[in-house]
Amino acid sequence: MPVLAVDHVTKRYGRFTAVDRVAFEARPGRILGLLGPNGAGKTSTIRMIAYITVPDEGEVRFGDRPVGPWSQARMGYLPEERGLYKKMKVGEQLLYLAELKGLAPAEAREKARYWLDRFGARDWAGKKTQELSKGMQQKVQFISTILHDPDLLILDEPFSGLDPINAELLKDIILELKDDGRTILFASHRMEQVEQLCDDICLISRGRIVLQGGLREVKQRFGKNTIVIDFDGDAGFIGVLERQGVVRPITRSLHHAELRLLDGASPRHVLETALQHVDVITRFELVEPPLNEIFVQVVGEPALQAQPVAPTS
Amino acid sequence: MNKTWIVARSEYLRRVRSKGFVLTTLLLPLAIVVFLVVIILLAASAFEEDETRTIAVVDRTGVLEEALVAASDEAIRFVPAAETEAALREAVIAGTYDGYLVLPADVIEGDGQVAYYSAEGGGSIFENRLDRRIERVVEEERMRRRNIDPELIREVSSNVPLRMVKLTEQGEEAGSTGVFAALGFGMGFLIFMMMVIYGSVVMQGVIDEKSSRVVEVIVSSVRPFELMLGKVLGIGAMGLTQMVVWSALILAGSMASGAVVSLFLDPAQLNLPDSASTEEILQAANITIPTFPPELFVWFILYFLLGYLLYASLYAAVGSLVESQQDAQGFLLPLLLPIIVAMYTLVPQVESPNSTLSLVLSMIPLTSPISAVVRMAVTDVPWWQTLASLAILAATFLGVVWLAGRVYRVGILMYGKKPSPREVLHWLRQA
Repeated sequence: MPVLAVDHVTKRYGRFTAVDRVAFEARPGRILGLLGPNGAGKTSTIRMIAYITVPDEGEVRFGDRPVGPWSQARMGYLPEERGLYKKMKVGEQLLYLAELKGLAPAEAREKARYWLDRFGARDWAGKKTQELSKGMQQKVQFISTILHDPDLLILDEPFSGLDPINAELLKDIILELKDDGRTILFASHRMEQVEQLCDDICLISRGRIVLQGGLREVKQRFGKNTIVIDFDGDAGFIGVLERQGVVRPITRSLHHAELRLLDGASPRHVLETALQHVDVITRFELVEPPLNEIFVQVVGEPALQAQPVAPTS
Repeated sequence: MNKTWIVARSEYLRRVRSKGFVLTTLLLPLAIVVFLVVIILLAASAFEEDETRTIAVVDRTGVLEEALVAASDEAIRFVPAAETEAALREAVIAGTYDGYLVLPADVIEGDGQVAYYSAEGGGSIFENRLDRRIERVVEEERMRRRNIDPELIREVSSNVPLRMVKLTEQGEEAGSTGVFAALGFGMGFLIFMMMVIYGSVVMQGVIDEKSSRVVEVIVSSVRPFELMLGKVLGIGAMGLTQMVVWSALILAGSMASGAVVSLFLDPAQLNLPDSASTEEILQAANITIPTFPPELFVWFILYFLLGYLLYASLYAAVGSLVESQQDAQGFLLPLLLPIIVAMYTLVPQVESPNSTLSLVLSMIPLTSPISAVVRMAVTDVPWWQTLASLAILAATFLGVVWLAGRVYRVGILMYGKKPSPREVLHWLRQA
């Protein structure tokens, strides 16, 4: 299976540079998380990979050939902004989209039946899309993305609008496709999903890659600088530590808190302060920061400086 | 090109199978035929006399009564009134008379108004007839007073019939030029309607795809230009299907309408034997059902197709710029201006098809689909002019579809704000 190589691509819209010399590789059998705040250039990058637009500089290759109509046939794209033909029947719709990917009608019909079955949607083929609920439409669109057995999958927020049961089903299928040796690009704002699914991540901010690598390796790079504490009793110690400039709370609830240690603070001091307030501590652990925290740290700090507002990507 | 074909086929089948298409395609010609039959029947019924109206005449001039009574015919019978006006009023209401007429004393000198009193008003056809008869009697009285012989006037003002014959290279063509003028108007109007209606269908299709965001998925399989072209061709094929069905139905309908109309006409009334054929009956009733020169139909289809392709490409480009029909108006107006001009100048074009205006409009590609067809319907157009006009139109289409593709490709992926005309020009310059 071929490797997807994004080779220093740049895309400009007028004077605005949406993507600035972005370079990364996505490998077969792995899931690459494409992260970044809104307007960072994710969609622009994805559109160049999907050969919807072409880069002003650089090149996107799938295997050893530049992407083109040939690679579109081997790629499935689930855009963040979903859309189907509202008045078309589900079966007809899947057939049309598969045919545009170069699938013969007979094969497309067979594949559509298989996938509708797997999503428990066998009876939908004759229904008009507008009669389906949003979650159902979501499933239909996902099926249209994988119907032609693509080697490269681009999934932009695939879980949005799905209930937990269907989200779990979708996750299983994505992992199955990954084990099958397909290359998967996963764009999301939901960091807990990224942590569950991705092997590699690539964080884009204002058109540039700001962080990139294997998920484990990236997290290790940030070190164990976060304390997870479960407790019973008075949570006042968090306020005390905050005022001392020792920690910054990431999340906190009644019996649980995640605290980021600020420069040079010792975990021991945190534990001692906590013991003075609470009745019981059931967990005290020094861990790597959650991805969410890394995201905020990497993207958030420079973003505080005044920047010209980027037009829509 | 293969993908263009898939898109075109899907667009075509999706639309042709819809209930709306089947209904409009079948019902519209039916409505037109029913409408035509009703009109023809109404016109035919005007030849028949329903009943004779009896009108009492109160003549205050003292000289017109005799002439009016003498002017009685099958439609209107004038009788001298013996009763007083009050008695006449009651007689009219009782139904003894259909109405009564009061001629004031000074009507011959041109003063005063003639008044007609009746229970039911009368209707405009009857009013005309009555007016004509009274006028003639009054005119003759005026002439008599000035010693002019009424016979002389009748001779002077007798009708001079004019027969209009259209000369072509093949010789004389039967039928009046009026029929061809009507044909010209009809075809020009039809092409105008079809370009605007099918163009709007294309635009709506583009807007739907864009606003539902499905376009993002489609262009990850198809080049935007192929998608646009497929859509334009598919909807064009739908339009052509509709036209062919309509033509066939209207042709069948116009052939049948003769028979239908003749069913309602009584041969005896037209002084024909009962065995008279449909043609004879229609001829006797002075009803002509126009025939359509077949080569004109070929030109009509050719201009319709090229005109549609040109405007549909423009409509597609406009659709790609907006997310709702209302937003499109500002972009559409300048594009539609040429055909609006062509429509507004239709009358002078039909009246003088060889004027500079007609010639120029039949050459300019944005107006030629209408103007060239109108010209061809009413006059013999030199073949080189037709060829030049078609060549210009085809070349313009190629240029426009290329430019429209540039706009479309950028437009369909721009969500949110509507670009300004200046931005669009900028995209074109970048292309």
